[in-house]
Amino acid sequence: MSAIVPTLLAELATLPLVSYIDTLGQFLRPSTLVGVFVRGLSKSAIYVMIASGLTLVFGLMGVLNFAHGSLTMIGAYLGGLVMVLAVTGASGTVSRFAFFLVAVLVVFGALSALGGVIEVGLIRPLYDRPPIYQILLTFGVTLVLDELVRIVTLFYGLQPISEWQAALGTKPEPLTATIRLGSTTVSGLALFEILFGVVTVAAVWAFLTRTRYGLVVRAGSEDSEMTEALGIDVRRVFTTVFALGTGIAGIAGALLMWDPVWGASVPLAAETLLPAFVVVIVGGLGTFRGTVVAALIVGMIDAVTTWWFVNAVEFTGLPEMFIFLILVVTLIVRPQGLFGVAEVGGH
Amino acid sequence: MSLLEIDDIHTYYGESHILEGVSLEVEDGEVVALIGRNGVGKTTTLRSVLQLTAPRSGSITYRGEELVGKRTHEVADLGVGWIPEERRVFSQLSVTENIRVAVPKGGDVDAALELAFDTFPALAERSEANAGALSGGQQQMLAIARGLVGENDLLLIDEPSEGLAPQIVSDVAEAVQNAAREATVLLVEQNLPLAMDLADRFYLLDNGQVVEDGEATSGVTDDERIRRYLSA
Repeated sequence: MSAIVPTLLAELATLPLVSYIDTLGQFLRPSTLVGVFVRGLSKSAIYVMIASGLTLVFGLMGVLNFAHGSLTMIGAYLGGLVMVLAVTGASGTVSRFAFFLVAVLVVFGALSALGGVIEVGLIRPLYDRPPIYQILLTFGVTLVLDELVRIVTLFYGLQPISEWQAALGTKPEPLTATIRLGSTTVSGLALFEILFGVVTVAAVWAFLTRTRYGLVVRAGSEDSEMTEALGIDVRRVFTTVFALGTGIAGIAGALLMWDPVWGASVPLAAETLLPAFVVVIVGGLGTFRGTVVAALIVGMIDAVTTWWFVNAVEFTGLPEMFIFLILVVTLIVRPQGLFGVAEVGGH
Repeated sequence: MSLLEIDDIHTYYGESHILEGVSLEVEDGEVVALIGRNGVGKTTTLRSVLQLTAPRSGSITYRGEELVGKRTHEVADLGVGWIPEERRVFSQLSVTENIRVAVPKGGDVDAALELAFDTFPALAERSEANAGALSGGQQQMLAIARGLVGENDLLLIDEPSEGLAPQIVSDVAEAVQNAAREATVLLVEQNLPLAMDLADRFYLLDNGQVVEDGEATSGVTDDERIRRYLSA
């Protein structure tokens, strides 16, 4: 014991405190802050896209869809496939963006249809069972989908490389470049992700607040039995929302195929599912507003901790741990999340 | 043919046999009260009509059309509205949105809002407030307004005075009377004087069966046999 204390003190004395203070000064420079802020926003945009569908489905149907990440992964591959087939060496920036919009529409349509089939064929028969049945079912679906994609990608030689380089290579030139913002530079892809996230949030928000169907979804999320008693076919709304949720998951995947940090790959399923769960739980299960705010918080904390663990501590695995730390703290301090109600009922 | 005919229905919650052969009729334009102690099956009767808790046997017809086997939204589409106990307004939606969501698809939303706010001016003053922020009495009015704008011919109203302060109960009674001018009403109410005041006829339930029925008069409240059923 007596030998340990001096050793600890000696180690503390050797901690590079001066170096940390220098790093803090570097972090507080406006150029660094702007860069971290933009990276935080781009991460938030990705998080909100992968979590939106999950929270809509849970809010209305009380179904925690473990297959959500797999649907995002399929969206990445399908979007990539459309781009690889459409883009040639001669394709310019405008046509690549146009092809991307086509890819987004194809992915949204195909994934919505797949979601509709999953809801009607697999989940609907289990609504009267305890939630664990739906969790086990969607977990099974994710295993099946992941293996199917693994088989197909192995057959076509797209794996084992972690990212599908051909899909990455279809990016328009502005998204591979860096753009100067004042005294700092940010990646074009980050700005595109932010733009895409904002458009997605605005579209979902407009759907929920400006359309009759959105009003029905919000009413059904609060009390599906009462909504049905008002003459609304809640089962049909369930199918529509599940299809919409999987469609949004697919669009998120289509965007991620261009991001070298994510890419079109089978592990993308698990890599997107976990942060999506963190975001919806921190925001409050089933609240879209909570999901947006939580995505901003988690994205920003992720960007800040990533910067610190790259520039000061040099331990790149730790930022991911911080995301889950946010989850743990939320579950202890406010289990219902930032905007959730203490008890989710009405199902 | 009665507007609503319930014939020998047996309804269960799991293995618990709640309704043991309930039969009753509601004529067009009537207010019929369903009275009885807590837990005798009044709410279950309304839930059976709506097919929220479908009977395992027996028949329920509305304008001669069989309801058993239909889905709840199909029953509602026929013109059967539900004003449940504890109001169950959508607390996160505004007053206006609560009314809008109750208007049938393709219905006139502006006319529905006008009807609701003319009937309940107190709601008009708080039209943009979240329903969860309303007082208990206002929530009850909103629940009734939601039933009114649903273009329903039959309203199933469950315990409208439950949990409300005595001074609010008279407002709610007036609201039920307003609703009764627009639709036929099957009313579940534990407050016997209020039920007799609002209803034309009554059915008394005990242990999942109809044990008494008759004209709703003030004399019923003094009937020893009925009081015994209600206090047992």
